[in-house]
Amino acid sequence: MTPQSLLQLTSQKCTTGCPILDRLLYGGIPCDSITEIVAESGSGKTQICLQLSLHAQLPVSHGGLAASSLYLHTEFPFPFRRLHQLCLSFRSSNAHHFPVNDNPCDRIFVQSVHTADHLLEIMSKTDPFIENSKNQVPVRLIVIDSIAALFRSDFDNTPVELKRRSSLFFKISSKLKALAKRFNLAVLVTNQVVDLVGPNEGINGLRIGNLVCLHTSGRRVCPALGLAWANCVNSRLFLSRNEEVIREENEKSNGQSCDFVKKKMRKLYVVFAPHLPESSCEFEITREGLFGVER
Amino acid sequence: MEIWRLPISASQRGKLISSGYTSLSSLSSISSSDLARELKVSESEAMNILKVASHSRGSETSNASCSIVEGAQSAWDMLHDEESLMHITTSSADLDNILGGGIHCKEVTEIGGVPGIGKTQLGIQIAVNVQIPNDFGGLGGKAIYIDTEGSFMVERAFQIAEACIEDMSEYNRFLRKDFQECKIKMLPQDILENIFYFRICSYTEQIALINYLDKFLSEHKDVKVIVVDSVTFHFRQDFDDMALRTRVLSGMALKLMNLAKRFSLAVVLLNQVTTKHTEASFQLALALGDSWSHTCTNRIVLYWNGNERYAYIDKSPSLRSASAAYSVTARGIRNSSSSCKRIKMM
Repeated sequence: MTPQSLLQLTSQKCTTGCPILDRLLYGGIPCDSITEIVAESGSGKTQICLQLSLHAQLPVSHGGLAASSLYLHTEFPFPFRRLHQLCLSFRSSNAHHFPVNDNPCDRIFVQSVHTADHLLEIMSKTDPFIENSKNQVPVRLIVIDSIAALFRSDFDNTPVELKRRSSLFFKISSKLKALAKRFNLAVLVTNQVVDLVGPNEGINGLRIGNLVCLHTSGRRVCPALGLAWANCVNSRLFLSRNEEVIREENEKSNGQSCDFVKKKMRKLYVVFAPHLPESSCEFEITREGLFGVER
Repeated sequence: MEIWRLPISASQRGKLISSGYTSLSSLSSISSSDLARELKVSESEAMNILKVASHSRGSETSNASCSIVEGAQSAWDMLHDEESLMHITTSSADLDNILGGGIHCKEVTEIGGVPGIGKTQLGIQIAVNVQIPNDFGGLGGKAIYIDTEGSFMVERAFQIAEACIEDMSEYNRFLRKDFQECKIKMLPQDILENIFYFRICSYTEQIALINYLDKFLSEHKDVKVIVVDSVTFHFRQDFDDMALRTRVLSGMALKLMNLAKRFSLAVVLLNQVTTKHTEASFQLALALGDSWSHTCTNRIVLYWNGNERYAYIDKSPSLRSASAAYSVTARGIRNSSSSCKRIKMM
């Protein structure tokens, strides 16, 4: 056993496709590490996953990984139409990297996952799959969207079952990290939120990470799957969405007037990460994808 | 063990004895600037005296103490040894205070907390701070970092190393205006080179590595700290035989304790937090169970209190229970910047 030289160990990152988000994340989603995105439904988790799967195909000089990606989805159906839409705008803005008849969607391998045991089965088959992919475009990104769906219904609320559930978390996380290390992959996992009822913050009054409490759509929430899963991921990002009422100055024919408009405010927070300080930024979702907004 | 045996000039010897330094061990933990001030000599002279003293100490065999049992030490000698051991600073003065100067060598310290509280940050800070040279009050040793979770980010270690060197230069500028020789020649790259980084992916690898450390440490005698981040990750999976897990864990803890004592280094184990199911409620406890909690010498729990990060001495044979605030900044672990911080003694 020899120690690795730290000077040769550079952590590669995969760009998110937006320079503002990349700046927040110090380059993008890191390789050899599990990054978790926590949000309620409709906040943009799948958008980021799709966007990342496309941008991973960019050459390394442009922040990508020059790689194909493995997309494991647990919620049905897979958003093929949205992927095609994003693909079109991705191709038009990065036309010089791809030959004319090339379809970036060919390099995203989609697999549906039904239960946690199914996921473990798939991961044992992933090893040879990634090994073989080295001949064409190697797989360097694994996306699991979402991990919460696998565990929400199969387990009762008794201590024995919860213990079994958390040992499954560690098993899955351990396998993912071993894969990530062996092939230098970036792993992106999405998670859902549960409502927080009661005066305490977090489950049992427990605070995890930089934010005292996570707010979205005017509710207090916390990430699903609890403390055990929080120990299994390396970094956690939180997407919040809120409806804000803002004043907008409008010039109308009879002079200036102001309207109160409801606007969707979306923010990305760093909850915890070993290399990132506490920070947040606003973003928006357009037809072309998910982009940060500089205010 | 006596001053009069040192090859120094008679006037220096006289000054040492009249200031109260009668044995070599009393010179072992003093810095050259303090010695210069006490003896009223120049710093370079004090430096020379300390160098000569450490040479004599190194070449001397401890046959002065006769022991009844082979290998046993009298408590008096042990006290002297303990006083001469240095501590590894955490870069936060409040934290160092409750730790009695810093992380102790020859002991196993367990540090646990929720995700995001700063365990990996503290681990990296300690791996960097152990390399602070003797002239600045550090151990001048190397570090072994065993990463089981993949949380170690090189760029963050580089940031912390840079900040450490900057702090040393500041210290140099303020306190040693006349002493030109001690310029900081360290670069962040040198600090990173002195951290031996191992990445392991299963519990069998973890055990194999810890068994291998014996050989590694005999080849690299200047390693002064072993950081394991985290010691519990691979043991929280399904073990069909829980008794096997307990046996494996205690074997590992015993090995680490042996390494700490034999090679005079500090062992820092980072642990996770889990919920314990008691009769009525859920309580937070460090992972790996009750039998593991007996194996470490010191136990520190990191937790949130309002908006502040706190460290609490949960178990220690020599330190009293206390808690102190600290913060994680871009430069690493530092004192908490809030003005109403206080060290609570229990």
